[in-house]
Amino acid sequence: MTAQLAIEARTLRKTYVSTRGVFRRERVERVAVNGVDLKVEPGELFGLLGPNGAGKTTMVKIFTTLLLPSSGTAAVLGLDVVRDQWRLRRRIGFVFGGDRGLYWRLSGLDNLRYFADLYRIPPEVSRRRIPELLERLGLAGRERDRVELYSRGMKQRLHLARGLLNDPEVLFLDEPTIGLDPVGARDLRVIVRGLADAGKTIFLTTHYMFEADAICDRIAVIKGGEIVAEGTPDSIKTVVQDQGVVEFEVVDMPAERIAGLRGLPGVRSVAVADKELAQLVTVHCARPAEVMTQLGVMLDGLKLDRLTSREPTLEDAYVQLIGESS
Amino acid sequence: MSSLVRAARSAFLLSVRLRVVSPWSYLNWFVFPLLFAAVGLFVLSGPGSTSAHLVYGVLGGGLIGYWSVAYLDAGNGIQDERWNGTLEQIFATPTPLWVILLGKVFAGLLFGLLAFIPTAVLAYVGFHAVLPALDPWRFVISLWLLTLSFFCIALALAPLFAMWRTAFTMLNGFELGVYILCGFMFPVAVLAGWAQGVAGVLAPTWAVRALYASTLATGPHDYVLWWAMTFGLSVAYLVAAYFLYALVERKARLSGQLALA
Repeated sequence: MTAQLAIEARTLRKTYVSTRGVFRRERVERVAVNGVDLKVEPGELFGLLGPNGAGKTTMVKIFTTLLLPSSGTAAVLGLDVVRDQWRLRRRIGFVFGGDRGLYWRLSGLDNLRYFADLYRIPPEVSRRRIPELLERLGLAGRERDRVELYSRGMKQRLHLARGLLNDPEVLFLDEPTIGLDPVGARDLRVIVRGLADAGKTIFLTTHYMFEADAICDRIAVIKGGEIVAEGTPDSIKTVVQDQGVVEFEVVDMPAERIAGLRGLPGVRSVAVADKELAQLVTVHCARPAEVMTQLGVMLDGLKLDRLTSREPTLEDAYVQLIGESS
Repeated sequence: MSSLVRAARSAFLLSVRLRVVSPWSYLNWFVFPLLFAAVGLFVLSGPGSTSAHLVYGVLGGGLIGYWSVAYLDAGNGIQDERWNGTLEQIFATPTPLWVILLGKVFAGLLFGLLAFIPTAVLAYVGFHAVLPALDPWRFVISLWLLTLSFFCIALALAPLFAMWRTAFTMLNGFELGVYILCGFMFPVAVLAGWAQGVAGVLAPTWAVRALYASTLATGPHDYVLWWAMTFGLSVAYLVAAYFLYALVERKARLSGQLALA
């Protein structure tokens, strides 16, 4: 007998129906999630990566019973998200990124007490658990301040405290570090990794590659509502394992030379980003050493600031996956 | 105490706290009723007015304030939750939405009743107006039934506001319509025939009629009919609410309308 999965989706599909036009209304159907199959083991920290509008939040909302799937099935802890919503809600927690979702005019403590009652947690348990969570998330001492006086990082930690009130077996985090400063985001990642190490199953959505690379056990990349890759961060990187990345900064590189660069043998893609007075050119290629040799000719007469070759990262793999599937 | 009762109590207390800390809520239960009462009392205390006219000024402002707060709690309260991003949060808890809204509606009724205090003070101090032939027991029973009708309407409307992002746009229209149709500041008898027909299916109409009758010695006093109509229509709203919650629960999960966008 196999152990029960923490999260499972089978050919999951979700479409939204809306209308467009003013005088002549037209019915529009938009596919947000398109036939997704997914399995998350208990205790895993699973990351779902994808660009905006890829279907990440829709997936989280389906798993947390906020949305009904149009077809297919989804189960969390063996409970069907459509039929077993009331039993399931007691056993899961969720946190959406951003400032919203709290009562700003009330204190952090008021917010937590309210949600503890809505989660139907016995008072003797919530009286013990709320101070524990405040302490653990670094909010102790500020719990009686109004939420509007909290920094964005504190608000996000309060969100996390709310999501942990019912001591959930599975925690869904939808872009929890969005908008946080680097230190706040790093602190939150440490907390999230700690929760996973303590045995909680965590389903995290993000579009920060380094975040997924740093803390996730396994990840899936979603594009246009479909999973385009799934595995450990290292296995995802194998998508670009035969490649290298050459980066250089150059001043005023003409368009025809960039086009020439794209035509070099072994070059997969060339990305050009403006960086103050220079351009940062990133070349994904099969044989970096050869490309670097050829660059000497290509860049002749131009002011070259920096030239490096590096190993591909998860972000490179992600960019390739997203690019390939579009 | 059962966990559901505790959840409803918590929703009630949260709603009370939010009203206490929000300057805007004082407009609804204090300033606006006072303005309505002042205008009503000025108009109704003119030459040729009788004590019966003044009763409409005394109670009218309070009734308008009471209805506004109770009704706004169902509409604006839900819309505020949506804007705050908390509507999805409360919807996804193990507490059914109707239990949470029950607590919120009770808080609205409590603050709505407060609207009678400034209007009564204004009437007594500013216009020396009193309720001349007050029948306390019938007044209290009528006010209780009026409260029941407001409660049932608010509870039935709340899921609609949760369901449709744009439902709050009809808020003002319906709020004013009930002032007029239910005879808050003048008798329903002065309305056109069709309007009286519409007023007849609104439970507050009958409770308000009983409420005014309990302060006046003259006129018909058919309390049993008025109270029965209020109670019967309120129960009908409750039955409608029961089905609406089931419908909204499903529709909201299908369409994702609980989020702001």
